[in-house]
Amino acid sequence: MSPLCLIVDDSRVIRRMAADILKGLGLRTAEAEHGGKAVEFCRTTVPDMVLLDWNMPEMDGITCLRELRAMNLEPRPVVVMCTTENGMSKIREALEAGADEYIMKPYDQSVLLDKLMQVGLVEQA
Amino acid sequence: MDDLLQEFLAETAESLAVLDVELVRFERESSDATILSNIFRLMHTIKGTCGFLGLPRLGAVAHAGENILGKFRDGELEVTPLAVTLILKAIDQIRVLLAEMETTGIEPAGSDAGLIDEINAVASGGAPAAAAAPAQEISMDGPHFSDAGFPVAAELLVEVAHALKHETAAAEPVFEAPVAEPVHAPEPVRAPEAARAPEAAATSRDSEAKEPNTANSSIRVNVDVIENLMTLISELVLTRNQLLQMQRGQKDNEFKVPLQRLSHITSDLQDGVTRMRMQPIGNAWNKLPRIVRDLAVSTGKKIELNMQGAETELDRQVLEMIKDPLTHMVRNSADHGIEDGIQRLAAGKPETGTIALDAYHESGHIFIRIADDGKGLDLERIRAKAIANGLTTEAAIAGMSEQQILQFIFRPGFSTAEKVTSVSGRGVGMDVVRTNIERIGGTIELSSVAGKGTTFLIKIPLTLAIVSALIVEANKQRFAIPQLNVVELVGVSDRSEARIETINTSPVLRLRDRLLPLVSLRGVLGLEQGTKNTDRFVIVAHVGASTFGIIVDRVFDTEEIVVKPVAPLLRGTPFYVGNTILGDGSVIMILDPNGLSQAAGQIEGADQAAAQGKGGRAGLLGGDQASFLLFRTAGSELKAIPLELVARIEGLEAASIEHVGGRHVVQYRDHLMPLVPFDDSHQWKETGQQEILVFSDNGRSMGLAVDEVVDIVRDRMAIELNSARPGLLGSAIIAGKAVDIVDIGHFLTQAFNDWFEITNQQSLARHALLVDDSPFFRNLVAPLLTSANWKVTTATDGVEALKLREAGHQFDVIISDIEMPNLDGLELASAIRNDPRWNKVPLIALSSHAEEGDIDAGRQAGFDEYLAKSDQTRLTENLARVLRMAGRGETNDNMRRAS
Repeated sequence: MSPLCLIVDDSRVIRRMAADILKGLGLRTAEAEHGGKAVEFCRTTVPDMVLLDWNMPEMDGITCLRELRAMNLEPRPVVVMCTTENGMSKIREALEAGADEYIMKPYDQSVLLDKLMQVGLVEQA
Repeated sequence: MDDLLQEFLAETAESLAVLDVELVRFERESSDATILSNIFRLMHTIKGTCGFLGLPRLGAVAHAGENILGKFRDGELEVTPLAVTLILKAIDQIRVLLAEMETTGIEPAGSDAGLIDEINAVASGGAPAAAAAPAQEISMDGPHFSDAGFPVAAELLVEVAHALKHETAAAEPVFEAPVAEPVHAPEPVRAPEAARAPEAAATSRDSEAKEPNTANSSIRVNVDVIENLMTLISELVLTRNQLLQMQRGQKDNEFKVPLQRLSHITSDLQDGVTRMRMQPIGNAWNKLPRIVRDLAVSTGKKIELNMQGAETELDRQVLEMIKDPLTHMVRNSADHGIEDGIQRLAAGKPETGTIALDAYHESGHIFIRIADDGKGLDLERIRAKAIANGLTTEAAIAGMSEQQILQFIFRPGFSTAEKVTSVSGRGVGMDVVRTNIERIGGTIELSSVAGKGTTFLIKIPLTLAIVSALIVEANKQRFAIPQLNVVELVGVSDRSEARIETINTSPVLRLRDRLLPLVSLRGVLGLEQGTKNTDRFVIVAHVGASTFGIIVDRVFDTEEIVVKPVAPLLRGTPFYVGNTILGDGSVIMILDPNGLSQAAGQIEGADQAAAQGKGGRAGLLGGDQASFLLFRTAGSELKAIPLELVARIEGLEAASIEHVGGRHVVQYRDHLMPLVPFDDSHQWKETGQQEILVFSDNGRSMGLAVDEVVDIVRDRMAIELNSARPGLLGSAIIAGKAVDIVDIGHFLTQAFNDWFEITNQQSLARHALLVDDSPFFRNLVAPLLTSANWKVTTATDGVEALKLREAGHQFDVIISDIEMPNLDGLELASAIRNDPRWNKVPLIALSSHAEEGDIDAGRQAGFDEYLAKSDQTRLTENLARVLRMAGRGETNDNMRRAS
């Protein structure tokens, strides 16, 4: 079965956009509109990858990331933080909290494909 | 349009609505970090999404807004009303752009540089100068700057570019942006880029991969789908009713139990779908904080808007209907109700005014209260305005209670605002508010205490699509009356205590010591009158502030009916709100109680009756009233004339009146108009204004010179005959005063006999016979005929009329009363039709009984036309029309056809 990617973003538009790209790359997708929903989802289904937005209501991305890592999910999902917050301190904060990669918003298919290859979810072309 | 773009428009619109509310909250509680971070996030999301979709112009505006919000958040900038106004402006601009995108599907070309510069100037701590100072302090790692977000690899280069030309950074088209190209353009007009957006967005490809269930517990459904579902449920309800109807006549059989289940499930389904259509009323309130806030800023007042029960749900159709009225009323409260701070302090009230909105459910209705603690409605001004706008007269308003005077604000053509401000005065008045609310079966009540404030209470049904209705029958046709309007049912017959009485031809019901005006469904809908069956029912209905009775033949049970809009053909009639299909499959009309009550002219009548404060029997019986013009002449006593007879009231310059050959004339509309003084003692003025009552007919006019026009009043005609003096019919009590009723016929002959002698000679060849035992009506109708250039002969009953025939008189028209001593009108008509001497003469009946088969009886007896005495206006009109035809010598057949 193709890898499952959980898209966590408060914008329906962005979720759908990301889902379209990921499906185009052959992945399965699921969506959550904030961190809390993502954590809930992971309790029943462990995704292969989480595409995690930073700025969200209810539970923001960094808190979500910490919670996910604290859950010790098996197999450990790859977490890609998506953010416009590109200050070094923010990136460091994300990496320390357990993010595997981060990606700048807005991204497009090729950028996302790069990341997926880097984390090994998509074969090198 | 691109799906994704549509989704974006919807999502952004939602975010903007929240932003509006939150920003106003934030302005008040600027220390609340949660509100601010929420605002920041929303704006940030809009900007971010613009980035994805390649909407540079929109993104630039959002970026500027986010930038300044970021400064608030980081404590770099103090929250000022100016700054908030600018953010609100940015939100408005985003809305404008979205609206355009909604129609065109692409981001409009152009630039918002002005607004953005203004915002940036404030953001950098300066005044909103037209040209922005470059915000050099934005550093490489600042949180608010490189969010244009280029692919990571390109980031460094871009940042360098930003540092050079940062102010355009936000405006960058961000999709696959080549680094070198864009940054130079100061005005990012990039049509090609925008055009590329859909393409870029359309990266979706169908994937076979199955999607696991999403974490969302709610889904978005197109409104059309729900509407369609509602229609289907409606059909299901109809079918269920049909089945129940079939089962009702049967003995118990195997269908009974499943049918009951079907019935329950259908009801549950109906409830479910109805609930699906429900939306919180807060959706209609979203814009209000912003409106109040803007108003407060522009008028310099301090106003707080408290909203309670925003989660109260109601049908979205209803919600749409009340949105504008609510907005208008809140706007009114803020604009006119709440005083400015100084006035409030002077009145011992807190400086900040409060408008409270409150919504709650109660007994199948939703109640919305709009209360302000302002100065209350100004009774004096309403009174003055009502009179000035001709809505009432001083005499009538003198006896009115405060509550009745307040009601004038709901009348068309009324607006309390003395000057039209930029805020109110948009052509929507409280009359429109009331009409809108009543259209959906709601009511609006008003209370106001001077100096304390005004409160409106709106009561509306939860849903419109399926209503409970009472099925009634008139003339073997069934009709539905919305149960909402029905107060009680009264069975009436000659034997029962409740009886239909007739006071001056208007039916009334004496119900618990109250006189209830009635309207007959047969009469009003023009159904056949049929036999006089005295066992009938009166539906006591309540519309707005008035209560009246509807006479029907039978009453069936109540039924849940599905309201279908009325066919376009019938839209002109005021009596129907729609139609529906009953359980037995028959299609019936749904009556509009509002229209029925207006048809009976009751609302006004009831108001006035109460105003007269003495039981107001006359007022309650709307039908027999007439308007009178009151005036004074040389003598001091008041004179009255039925208003229908007066064409115009003119104030003429005394100097323009000429004296020719012993007569006074004036040039009036390119003709010489003769002027007649009321009596010889009249003093023609040398200077100043001369009041003239103009009477017109067939293009000719005469003027009656009077000293002063006093008033126009509505009252019942109760004449006590006493016509000793020429020019007067007698005296009567009108509006509580004794007045002389003027015989205009007298003056018409004075003016025309000499002046238009030739014309008269010719026209007097037309000769009318007027048969009526009532001297009052003879005296009322004769002048009408005279003024239309008829020579009039009168007879007091049928016998006297036939004597004229024996004497060899010939007439061009015969107008006769029905109820007369010796030989009544019907017998007279038969006698006339059965004798060759007069059998070609047009015959007009004039009766106080113009229903219940009277008209048919009259036609059978040989009358060509049947006119009701009670309706003054129509009497005048119809008589004039019929006379014109008779005067032209048209045949009876033509007349029949024309009538």
